[in-house]
Amino acid sequence: MIKLKNTTKYFRVGFFGIKKYAVYDLSLTIEEGKVTGFFGPNGAGKSTTIKMIVGLIHPSNGIIKINGYDSTDYRARLNLGYLPENPSFPRGLKGIEIINYYSKLLNKKINKNEIYDALKLAGIFYAKDIHAHKYSKGMTQRLALAISILGDPEILIFDEPLSGLDPIGRKEFKDIIFKLKERKKTIFFSSHVLADSKELCDKIAILTGGRLIKNEGIAAIEKEAEGYTEAKLNLSKNRERTQGTAKPEQDKDYLLIAEYSTPLEIYLYDLMRKNKKN
Amino acid sequence: MKKILYSTMYSFKEIKNSKIFYSFLIFALILISGSYFVSQTSFISQGRIMVDFSIFAITIFNIFIGIFIGSSIIYDDIEKKSIFLSITRPVKRTEYLIGRFLGLTVAIIFSTIIMMLIFYFVLLIMHKYIVPFKPFAGQSKPAVTHLKSIHGNSVKESKNAPNKSIIQKTKAKPFTVYSLPQPLIIQALFIIIESVFIAAVALLFSLITSKALASIFTVLVFFIGNVSSKMNDLVRPVKKIIGGKIVIVHQANHLLTNIVHIIYTVLPNFSIFNISSEAAYKIFISAGTVFYRIVYGLSYMVLLVIISSLIFARKDIS
Repeated sequence: MIKLKNTTKYFRVGFFGIKKYAVYDLSLTIEEGKVTGFFGPNGAGKSTTIKMIVGLIHPSNGIIKINGYDSTDYRARLNLGYLPENPSFPRGLKGIEIINYYSKLLNKKINKNEIYDALKLAGIFYAKDIHAHKYSKGMTQRLALAISILGDPEILIFDEPLSGLDPIGRKEFKDIIFKLKERKKTIFFSSHVLADSKELCDKIAILTGGRLIKNEGIAAIEKEAEGYTEAKLNLSKNRERTQGTAKPEQDKDYLLIAEYSTPLEIYLYDLMRKNKKN
Repeated sequence: MKKILYSTMYSFKEIKNSKIFYSFLIFALILISGSYFVSQTSFISQGRIMVDFSIFAITIFNIFIGIFIGSSIIYDDIEKKSIFLSITRPVKRTEYLIGRFLGLTVAIIFSTIIMMLIFYFVLLIMHKYIVPFKPFAGQSKPAVTHLKSIHGNSVKESKNAPNKSIIQKTKAKPFTVYSLPQPLIIQALFIIIESVFIAAVALLFSLITSKALASIFTVLVFFIGNVSSKMNDLVRPVKKIIGGKIVIVHQANHLLTNIVHIIYTVLPNFSIFNISSEAAYKIFISAGTVFYRIVYGLSYMVLLVIISSLIFARKDIS
């Protein structure tokens, strides 16, 4: 289980070192065996939060605990796999050499079959003997995924796992997450693509401007979203009826409903838009 | 400990395959091979010119490897985000840093060995500066010769004496094995120490500033470290006999003397690792000198790595 309690992160910027808050007073619990989606617009603080959880960044204030250990303690990562956004690997090394190295950094002995299984699950087994710098973006992402699931960790943290992938790659990646979900892994992933929310998540957390604005189960949010969308649709219709002149193409609510396919997406989008700092 | 070892091996593989490492190695090898042509510009002391030129090439290219790879080994990992997957494993940051640094150390040792081997073959082909390799010569021959010089030829060598058989075997060999003279081997060792030392400086700077600035600062430290002892000698008060009395004469003003002395004391003295003159004249380097200089280099290195790891442990990697 991952627990964030009143976590704040600020960076000092400029000559005078003015504080710029990336995450402010964030309290969040990531439950075991569930998939939690972490949504928010660009610059919301999603990646900063994830980096604090995996120990890359030290929180300015607050506590982050993973299985009882502080996030900066290396023991917190004993059972954790992390897939960064846009991963990269050094030149001149083959995929198999890279994954072999990462397998040695784990505190348990990983045999050859386990490495092959991870490569197969990530769909990169065929390219294991190719130099990693010759990989495409999707292949690099898959190798990083194979590394993150190596050793069968209980907690998996993915930072924008679907960004930059083509539709086929996205579909395949989602299937992998589904497989991991079936294995009852604790998955925490960030995304700004709202379409990923319903099909993948058990829980949704929304971060905007460094503040958590929503953290609920998918069923509760969906119920809320349906009521919200219905109200919005009615409002749009009423406006059209009463004012008469307004064309549906010019109505903001109508456009929003037309753009997003599900009430959940409409609701989440609107929630982020309203809370976004300009 | 195992994780440090794996990191070391991985880093060495990575550096070995990097373009910058290859480029420096190839350039050095071209220069070493070309030392023959440079030596031909002189009618005398061609061997000395070859040694001087090659030692310079080996030193400078290893220093370049230390500076440029040292300043990028962690910095590039952070910039290219390849560090994200490494330190989010159950690895302490210190282990990772030490592993990377040791990987670079192995790469420097590897490059020095390659360069020295090429240098050795060049000397072997030219048949200059190499000495016949006699592992037991130092123990056997002088003892017998010494006794003979005291008692004349009446001194009989024991039939079963192992030294005699060794000497006979050596004589019976169809070819002689040649090795580099002792000062050249010591110089190679000092080049490794100096380059790794420089790499530690570059690594430290790269953790607190950009890669380019880290390289510039390291070059400055290297330059000052090489001239600081000479500068200190220049400004040091000297004793002179004036009017039959010993008088202490200050050659520079007090402020300058103090500044130079502080720089000399605080910054590492790299000039002690340069024994190219001794190497060129085949002057034997005593074990005490070698030991003292190695300890000096290693202590500085350990200190720098400790400071680096303290900074790295607190660093936000984003």
